[in-house]
Amino acid sequence: MDGNTMLELIDLRAGYDTVRGFVRAVDGVNLRLKSGEFLGIAGESGCGKSTLAYAIMGLLRDQARVESGAILFKGRDLVRASAEEWKQLRWTGMAMVFQSAMNALNPVLSVGEQLVDAIHAHRKVSEAEARAMAVEMLALVDINGDRLKSYPHQLSGGMRQRVMIAMALILKPDLLVMDEPTTALDVVVQRSIIEKIAELREKLGFSVIFITHDLSLLVEISDTLAVMYAGKVCEYGPARGLFDGPLHPYSRGLMNSFPSLTGPITRMGGIEGRTPELLALPPGCRFAPRCPEAVERCREAEPALLPAGADRSCACWLHGETR
Amino acid sequence: MNDAVLELVSVCKHFPTRGIASRGKVVHAMDDVSFTLGRGESLALVGESGSGKTTTASVITRIYEKTSGSLTIDGEELRPFRDREDALRHRKKVQMIFQDPFGSLNPTHTIREILERPFLIHKLASGKDELEGRLVEILEQVGLTPAEDYLRRYPHELSGGQRQRVNIARTFAVEPRIVLADEPTSMLDVSIRMGIMNMMLGLKETRGVSYLYITHDLAGARYMCSRIAVMYAGMIMEIGPTDEVIARAGHPYVELLKEASPSPESGFSRRKMPARGEIPSLIDPPAGCRFHPRCPKATAECSRAVPAMRDLGGGHFARCIRAG
Repeated sequence: MDGNTMLELIDLRAGYDTVRGFVRAVDGVNLRLKSGEFLGIAGESGCGKSTLAYAIMGLLRDQARVESGAILFKGRDLVRASAEEWKQLRWTGMAMVFQSAMNALNPVLSVGEQLVDAIHAHRKVSEAEARAMAVEMLALVDINGDRLKSYPHQLSGGMRQRVMIAMALILKPDLLVMDEPTTALDVVVQRSIIEKIAELREKLGFSVIFITHDLSLLVEISDTLAVMYAGKVCEYGPARGLFDGPLHPYSRGLMNSFPSLTGPITRMGGIEGRTPELLALPPGCRFAPRCPEAVERCREAEPALLPAGADRSCACWLHGETR
Repeated sequence: MNDAVLELVSVCKHFPTRGIASRGKVVHAMDDVSFTLGRGESLALVGESGSGKTTTASVITRIYEKTSGSLTIDGEELRPFRDREDALRHRKKVQMIFQDPFGSLNPTHTIREILERPFLIHKLASGKDELEGRLVEILEQVGLTPAEDYLRRYPHELSGGQRQRVNIARTFAVEPRIVLADEPTSMLDVSIRMGIMNMMLGLKETRGVSYLYITHDLAGARYMCSRIAVMYAGMIMEIGPTDEVIARAGHPYVELLKEASPSPESGFSRRKMPARGEIPSLIDPPAGCRFHPRCPKATAECSRAVPAMRDLGGGHFARCIRAG
């Protein structure tokens, strides 16, 4: 592993113990994130993208667990990290912004108290210094320092989400994991949040893993893109290249699910059928039952994620340069 | 317009507030909303949360009664319901598809029981055989085949997309004239949204209904509708043919909405957002143009009076003093 790698997932399997058996929501994922890179993970509900984020952050609890594989953060395997190590790592090394961030703030504490708490948990600084850090961070997300005294209910949804981003970044982590951070927000607010993240990344130089079902948004903001389907990465590559020429039929179907705002209006198809149940996976390629191109081989054996041209890979028997 | 199925003229809906600080005040959820919906036409109502688009739909379905203004269907002014017959007559004409396919089907009823209700309530089938035929027909039209198989099932046995298809089947069961679709695909997985949208476009052709398609997604509105009305803070800011409004927006808010929409074609080139901020309070909406506090082009004049709709030609209107 070279020094430029921030995070590496090696054959990661994670999921949930249920009465019907272990549901492997993440099934053999390999991904690498360079320092400063913006990786977008696209997929629909049930594809394992959130489980992946929770696994990276060490937040799988109770019935949820990492089954096997490794999560190397700056070369250190987090799967084997102790609770004490995690405590050190979270917030200072990596931080997360959740989908329901609007409700993730404590309603009975002011914004300032919550920010200062986070600082005190990790740094030995005075109250005044912590407050100064909080004000500085809020300013970065365009929120006036007066708002330190505000309670969450006094802020709009967009402001609360920006407070959550400020809180995630307050100890200058190297990696920011965002799970659908803008899904609950209106388009205009979403755009301002995304611009803010891009601007802060330039300023502070952290890496981002941005998870969403909105591929049209991801294509715009990511350096690299991983498309997930039923627990596996089915295509990976530079965002632009993936948008211009998606290889996997699922990626193509997803691209074909977002009407264009300015281009010609063409009849779009989306994808027939529904995502498979993880406890009753079809034999062969998981996408085969919905795939318009599937041939016999697709229903017999599962294709591996293999290199398919410059920096790209694809898990399909029919597409990809190495076939 | 002669072939207008639905016409709203200066419709307002104000809700009383209950807070101590705002006692006696009202929420201006919908102010001076005027538009017509032609026979077989689809009009998109686009706006962010709090823009008044769902209130508008609720006033048309008469979940809420309007505060003032005129609302006509087939040229007939809507009056308060006198009896159940009145209400039924209205509901036979106007139906609504709700956003949440999980919450809008009774979980203890089978699909048969759910779909039988409109036929029984509106007495649309005589005899068991006809009812059976109609149920199968409507399920086939929404792409749920074999129909017999679905009639036996309960909502929890269906996926979100299938449930939304049942909702749409129920909506079309009474052969309505107007269908109000309130974000019908926003809670569904992206890959199945187009299937639902295409099916709705097909039903419009075969059934000749008019759609009022409510969405926050400008691109989706463009796919579904020939005309578009953009709402902001309870008022229509711009209305006209879809491509006209998108290509030559007359209102700075529509410009902002356009800039903010994801558009992979144009790439991420740190867009110059024409405005910041969020939707104002509807209890004390800004004087004059409701967008002026956020508008980069606002002048003193903008805060004086609510701008009138300006005619930009070809059925394109914008509520901005600089438009045209």
